[in-house]
Amino acid sequence: MERQRRTNWLNGFLAILYYEFLWNLRKKKIVGLFILVFAIVTLELALPPLLDYYNGVPLTPNSNVVFDFFNGLSGIFLFLIAVATTMNTISGEFETGSITPLLTKPVSKNTVFLGKITASFLTLLGIYAFLTVYVTLGGVLIEGSQNNLQLVPLGLVGLTLATMVWASLVILLGTLSKSSLVSALGSFGVWIGVTIAGGILGSVFGQTTILFYAPGNGATGSTTGCGVGRFEAGGTFATGTDNLAYMLMQWVLNGSNTLNFCGFRFRMGATETFLASSDTIANVALRDLGVTLAYLVVFLFLSWYAFRRAQIIESA
Amino acid sequence: MDHPVIQTQNLTKSYGSRIAVNRLNLTVEAKQVHGFLGPNGAGKTTTIKMLVGLLTPDSGSLRILGMDAAGDKPKIRQRIGYMPELPKFPKHLTGEELLDVYGRMYGMSKEERRRKTAELLKMVGLAGRGRDKIGKYSKGMQQRIGIAQALLSDPELVILDEPSIGLDPVGMVEVRDMVKGIVKGGQTVFFSSHLLAEVQQVCDHVTIINNGLTLFSGTLEDITNVARPSRRLVLELQKGSDGILQALKALPFGTVEARDNVYTLHLNTTDDVRADISRAVSGAGGVILKMQEEGGGLEDAFMNLVGKAA
Repeated sequence: MERQRRTNWLNGFLAILYYEFLWNLRKKKIVGLFILVFAIVTLELALPPLLDYYNGVPLTPNSNVVFDFFNGLSGIFLFLIAVATTMNTISGEFETGSITPLLTKPVSKNTVFLGKITASFLTLLGIYAFLTVYVTLGGVLIEGSQNNLQLVPLGLVGLTLATMVWASLVILLGTLSKSSLVSALGSFGVWIGVTIAGGILGSVFGQTTILFYAPGNGATGSTTGCGVGRFEAGGTFATGTDNLAYMLMQWVLNGSNTLNFCGFRFRMGATETFLASSDTIANVALRDLGVTLAYLVVFLFLSWYAFRRAQIIESA
Repeated sequence: MDHPVIQTQNLTKSYGSRIAVNRLNLTVEAKQVHGFLGPNGAGKTTTIKMLVGLLTPDSGSLRILGMDAAGDKPKIRQRIGYMPELPKFPKHLTGEELLDVYGRMYGMSKEERRRKTAELLKMVGLAGRGRDKIGKYSKGMQQRIGIAQALLSDPELVILDEPSIGLDPVGMVEVRDMVKGIVKGGQTVFFSSHLLAEVQQVCDHVTIINNGLTLFSGTLEDITNVARPSRRLVLELQKGSDGILQALKALPFGTVEARDNVYTLHLNTTDDVRADISRAVSGAGGVILKMQEEGGGLEDAFMNLVGKAA
């Protein structure tokens, strides 16, 4: 009998990671979405020079293609990638009944949970790493040398953390409901609610404080100030959790610069903008990172608690 | 081993207002093949789920291999192999991958995993199908891979929840042979079933529960005494008569029931009284065409116990 085995925590954790990767790499929706995002990124890279060429405009090298990639890939893409990666992570095990044999193996529930979350994080990191390498190589090949390539790893971590906010919400809803459908539709409801509410708040009240702490796009900041009667278009970018990657990169590059948040008001039948608040990019990025981590911690803690308490009553 | 492999005291579990397991006292000694019997909804699966940590008991104590086992106890699960009722495994994995990944969770080396996987797939009749996705397995094949994964780590205690469910007759016989094989390896088997014949053929001890209550726990021999099963002898004669009926009624072995030329004797003894009965019938001028013993087995005992409890 071979009963005395080296069964330590690390063996169990690595086994769960392996188990998850075998699953994640075979999820058709992940592969499908990955192909879609890959196609979009390809278009982003190739379409401008192709159009220029078609219109007879001489090609002007853009040395910020890679840097701007981290500002462009946000919103619905992050959310969809999060849903595709994690909607079955825990709820799928309950739905199919495979949770029963899994939880009767010599690995604690805590380790199973941690393994699943880590695998989700690493899967997202892998997807973004592949896209980033592709964008970097494509950018250099098409547009020539690129600025700020040293910040790409930071952007990669930022993108992954930003996506993990939605992923942790998806996991939480899946753990509570034990249904992949509820987890996907519920989180989509939250996403669309936050997006619509954020848009309305931004349009009516300007970039109010509440937007600093909402997940998603958050408040839009401007490096050029708030004009009277019009919103300055130049140098504006979202500062919410979805744009964490770009914010972290801006922090390193322009941390001491001021970012202005504009409000709206109606005066004598006209709309005018005014400076609602301003802060350094470093502070805004730090707050963004804090808000991102706070959402992650809260969603994952609640999810862990629900998973710990889950009892396997019915055979699926 | 100086402690029971499984020991529960007043183990209780409720779902809302419904008591699924009610103060269950269960003792399973080492190297037993212990059958766990009960009608559907008796509380068998709930009990087993508490044993393997999938459910937390409301009250009572639960010890496995001498250790407190209530709740999430990976160290205990390291020494247990469990096959759930109608097991469901990740469909995207092949049979080999499933055993490999579970083997990793048990801390088995690569070489050990490879050897055990080949050995177990052969044992459960899935040799040559190990590289097929589990999603393509039939229900019977999923049962077989379920048995294989339960035996993967050479566990000291093997818990099988309705292992024959969903199998064809050949598969059921093979499962029985597998269980007998496990016992030869020195492992303890705790095995729930609602198939009495299966339990009778495989187990040496049995616990019967109904409505969450223990009705009986002991050896298979004990159960026939405790439950006082109704053993019957059915005689088919060439021709019945009052004389034969009177001769049979005069015997001190029980009561007689007659219908045409068929006489049923409800016996109150466990002795072999067929010769006495044959003599009584012949003495009264009767000719026996057929004599058949019925009842007296686990099925009668089970029906008596469950019937009393209902």
